[in-house]
Amino acid sequence: MSQSSTTTAREIPKEIERFNVTFRIQHIIMFTTFLLLSFTGWGLKYAYAPGGVSSWWIRVWGGPETAGIIHRVAGVTMLLDFVWHVIYLFYLFGTKRMTINLKTTVIPLPKDVFDVIKNYLYFFGLSKEKARFAKYSYAQKFDYWAVFWGMFIIGFSGFSLAFPMLVSHIIPQFATSWIWQLLSIMHSDEALLAIVFILFWHFYNEHLKPENFPMSWLWITGKISTDTLKHHHPIEYEMLFPDANKNKD
Amino acid sequence: MPYKKVIFFVAPLMVLALLLPLSAPAQESANCLACHSSMKGRIKAVSGNLIELNIDSEKFQASVHSSLACTDCHIKFSDNPHTSPNAPVPQEVLAISAKISKKYPIDPVAAAACVQCHDEIYKKVLESVHGKNITQKHQTDGALCLDCHGSPHYIVPIGNPAALMGRKHQVETCGKCHGNKALNEKYKMEENVMDSFEESFHGRKLALGHTKVPVCASCHGAHDVKSMDDPTSPVFGNNRLQTCGKCHKGANEKFIPAITHKLPGPIPYYTEKALIFLVLGVFTFIISHVLLEAFSDIRDAIFRKGGHE
Repeated sequence: MSQSSTTTAREIPKEIERFNVTFRIQHIIMFTTFLLLSFTGWGLKYAYAPGGVSSWWIRVWGGPETAGIIHRVAGVTMLLDFVWHVIYLFYLFGTKRMTINLKTTVIPLPKDVFDVIKNYLYFFGLSKEKARFAKYSYAQKFDYWAVFWGMFIIGFSGFSLAFPMLVSHIIPQFATSWIWQLLSIMHSDEALLAIVFILFWHFYNEHLKPENFPMSWLWITGKISTDTLKHHHPIEYEMLFPDANKNKD
Repeated sequence: MPYKKVIFFVAPLMVLALLLPLSAPAQESANCLACHSSMKGRIKAVSGNLIELNIDSEKFQASVHSSLACTDCHIKFSDNPHTSPNAPVPQEVLAISAKISKKYPIDPVAAAACVQCHDEIYKKVLESVHGKNITQKHQTDGALCLDCHGSPHYIVPIGNPAALMGRKHQVETCGKCHGNKALNEKYKMEENVMDSFEESFHGRKLALGHTKVPVCASCHGAHDVKSMDDPTSPVFGNNRLQTCGKCHKGANEKFIPAITHKLPGPIPYYTEKALIFLVLGVFTFIISHVLLEAFSDIRDAIFRKGGHE
């Protein structure tokens, strides 16, 4: 646009980029490996499911040996994906391509707790207003940090169980009598938590919700329409297009 | 007919008879089975013990022992079985039968007769913790051949899925005693063996049909099984380095405690409780949130058309 227009209201684009291609690839690797891990791990966790259904399910994945290999390969890939994500974040911060801003950060803030309370009040009809979100709603922040929790708990325990000899070197002697049992409990219980979490939280919020059904195409285009942005992330919208908001109201 | 000519007929027949050594015992078994395959139920012996009368002829013919004659094991019954079972018994068999007669009061000779073919294995068993319980502690509980392999009449090869000591059934076979609360208490054995195996990765993979995971004997040894307190046991102390190392290359001292039949200690136990608490807490939040949000969306769509921002 011409220089003269900068003083007046900036042209509002139809859509803006929310996730760049690196983030999108990281997400695709994350959910592909997540599904593979869930499918193969579920059979092992519920090996004694009635009617031998787990034994059948594991045969679908090529039998216990093959399913085990798929699980390990997917697990290592997911961990590498996570490491890549963290390194990439350091790079973005290091080069000032990303800075911490209260309106765009994914870091949980006190506001998120108030947003949850506000929304519950709205659900019960005790308040007429829904919470207004910045770039990331509490649901999205929860989704994001759940993966971090999973990576530390399930990822570390899974790595230890897959490569016990390697990890045994860093295990202190006094812990050897209980650490292995602890690791398998952590892996199994938290994996169930992760699967149910994704199934309810992520699938409802990003797929089943009427406004997103069958899915939000953001994961592949990386773009969010400014209409959606205004509706779901009004605080970010106002930050990006401060003048537009004034004009419209 | 001249004597010399007879020999020309008889000699080839005798050679043929040598080529068919199996036919004779089979014939003899048929004589016994003529009655015992159709008899049903048990009778009470003079001693008060019940004797199973029935032999399933088809199953016997399919077993690895089908070529044996009944009297190969039931040695005492060689001549007239039901009145005077007193045929001579080899010294070796007799010696063992005397040691195990308390466990097998009906026909200890038959139970000892396995040694005639399975010489080395039988001697290992008698020296094992199972055997010593019978021969030295004079108990009837220790496992001998039949306790694990089932009736010798119906033994199938170890690779057969029906084999009691094969991969498919071994754990439940050992569990007949090791999952028995009274026996575990009597001998102060580890009580949690069955549950802990079932819970373990080994047990789960076995249930899923993994073909390489270990079953009981893979780690504990088979015929020469030892007490876990015996320093020569493959699962005693650092012997596990070698035992676990059979599958887990590089098994070290920090790795070998990974598989144990002991109940979980307090740390895994309370960690699991805390994790379950966390899981339930998260479930409560996400499920209530999802449901309430869905209901409020429906409510808004019906009652507050256009009312939302």
